[in-house]
Amino acid sequence: MNSIITSAVLGVIMMFSGIFLKKNSSIVLLAILAMVALLAMAILEMSGFHFFPVETHDMLYFDVFGMFFNCIAFAATLAFFLLSGRDIAAIGHNPGEYFALIFFVLCGISIASSFNSLLMLFIGIEIFSIPLYILTGSDKRNLKSNEASLKYFLMGAFSTGIMLLGIAFLYGASATGSFFLEDLGIGKNAGSPMMMTGLILLMVSMAFKVSAAPFHFWTPDVYDGAPTVVTSFMATIVKAGAFIAFIRLFKDAFGDLKHNWQIFIAILTFFTLFIGNITAVFQQSVKRMLAYSSIAQVGFMLFSILGLNVMAQEGILLYIAVYSLATIGLFAILTRMKDFSFQAFNGLARQYPVAAFSATIFLLSLAGIPLTGGFMAKYYMIASVMETGNFFWLVVFALLCAAVSVYYYFKVIQAMYFKEGPSQELELSPAFNVLLISLALLIILLGVFPELLIDRLHIIYI
Amino acid sequence: MSATQFLFWFLSILALFSAIMMVVSKSPVHSVLWLIVVFFAISVHYVLLNAQFLAIVNLIVYAGAIMVLFLFVIMLMNLNAETEPLKNKWLKITGVIGGGALMLVLVAALKDADIRNRIAETNKGEIGLIHNLGMALFKEYVIPFEISSVLFLSAMVGTVVIGKKE
Repeated sequence: MNSIITSAVLGVIMMFSGIFLKKNSSIVLLAILAMVALLAMAILEMSGFHFFPVETHDMLYFDVFGMFFNCIAFAATLAFFLLSGRDIAAIGHNPGEYFALIFFVLCGISIASSFNSLLMLFIGIEIFSIPLYILTGSDKRNLKSNEASLKYFLMGAFSTGIMLLGIAFLYGASATGSFFLEDLGIGKNAGSPMMMTGLILLMVSMAFKVSAAPFHFWTPDVYDGAPTVVTSFMATIVKAGAFIAFIRLFKDAFGDLKHNWQIFIAILTFFTLFIGNITAVFQQSVKRMLAYSSIAQVGFMLFSILGLNVMAQEGILLYIAVYSLATIGLFAILTRMKDFSFQAFNGLARQYPVAAFSATIFLLSLAGIPLTGGFMAKYYMIASVMETGNFFWLVVFALLCAAVSVYYYFKVIQAMYFKEGPSQELELSPAFNVLLISLALLIILLGVFPELLIDRLHIIYI
Repeated sequence: MSATQFLFWFLSILALFSAIMMVVSKSPVHSVLWLIVVFFAISVHYVLLNAQFLAIVNLIVYAGAIMVLFLFVIMLMNLNAETEPLKNKWLKITGVIGGGALMLVLVAALKDADIRNRIAETNKGEIGLIHNLGMALFKEYVIPFEISSVLFLSAMVGTVVIGKKE
């Protein structure tokens, strides 16, 4: 409850900050301080300090998995604010409101990581979707941003409708007429056509939110059209939040029925890996390539829903941490560039060696090269499925796709180190470089000692 | 056939017919008017299910406020039938196939719905009164009720961000 209430209150504070603080830099500073406070609240909650004793009537359920996810998501948002806070404030004329909307998104994410009832799932998903529609269109004078916002809003509204229809079916099929997760997958209707219809409709809408193929068609356009800082936030923290809701829903409510629905998730995974990786190869713009790469990464994350064991839980948290940090770092560099094509990266290593080195680490991690966090994360995902003994063909296919992904990630590295390019002016302050390099070191640290992160998940259990 | 049953069938047929008319009407203004008929029919369904408050709110909010807003928007933007873009033939065919497949699944799902044991309680108009609704909303469902305020607040902030003149 700490994170939900604190993030909502901080959102309101940020909303009013625009009245009192006139300079963008002071608003950014306030946002960073607020984020530190929120992270502290989430960490304290995990250590057992609950400051808001609220009777939730079982609507919310706080377990270590969800609370630890909150900590990771908030830490990633803090890194995001530190790296690109200035760029968020520079999107338009309402810097306070942009930060307020981001805090409301975080409130939605902390609900999505702790829901115990479909009602709360719905409200959580809506709370983080609606501010995002706005943030996507916040660059008002850019037609592409307007188009992306409208497209995202319409598609998102349809997917919400599909989710509601699924919830209605599940309510009808549940034994006692209840929205609680533990009542959904049981009773004489378990596995009946009505329940399966509801389940698949929910699966479709959740797949839309995490942009798994074949429900990914909005992703490239929206990620491309949105202001680059917003894309960075959407592709990492928000996607992870939707994913946690997805995994919680299918683990807690339908874990016993998994033989009925796992094949659908396997098909989703197959298409997501295939379409994400193959289309990313043909992109001319790095921003669009990263949009497709985020689809491809979701393909790997979906393995945790196929596994549904302890290793999957550990792995998905590691995956989210590593993927979010790497993508946030890459987008932070991309935001400072004027041109998003591959040619713009030509010769970057000579001019900005620190930024180029960190970007190389981020790209290596996304590709899953050993010694980086991305390798361990992919290893955990695949091992969790191997543990169940099914879907061996999908594992082989995923490894092939990971090999394909190396091609388009290395294209950027190659441009930075082995090509000559005109000199360009990027505003990379020393503090920015220090942050980038520490993110890169953190990713390597997680690649060598993933236990540092994963063991947190079990300390409180015992 | 009792009066309630007769009313139920009549309203169901009316709602379905108006919904189909709403989709097939060429003029957007007619579509909106048919949609209002759908809302009225569904509101009376709510009354049959003892949800009086819901019925009134449905009428006031949807038929009253939202649909009038729709009419204004359509009239102001002058959306006539002539300006409607031509639709691809293949798009129509795939749409029919997709929608038909979805309908097949939904019919299959509802086919063996348990209708004998969970019959609607008619003529016992206690459940849907505003008193009982308030008790449920502020006791069991107080958390979703309060948290949805964040949703509305963020929507309001968003409206200002998008709508404010720069």
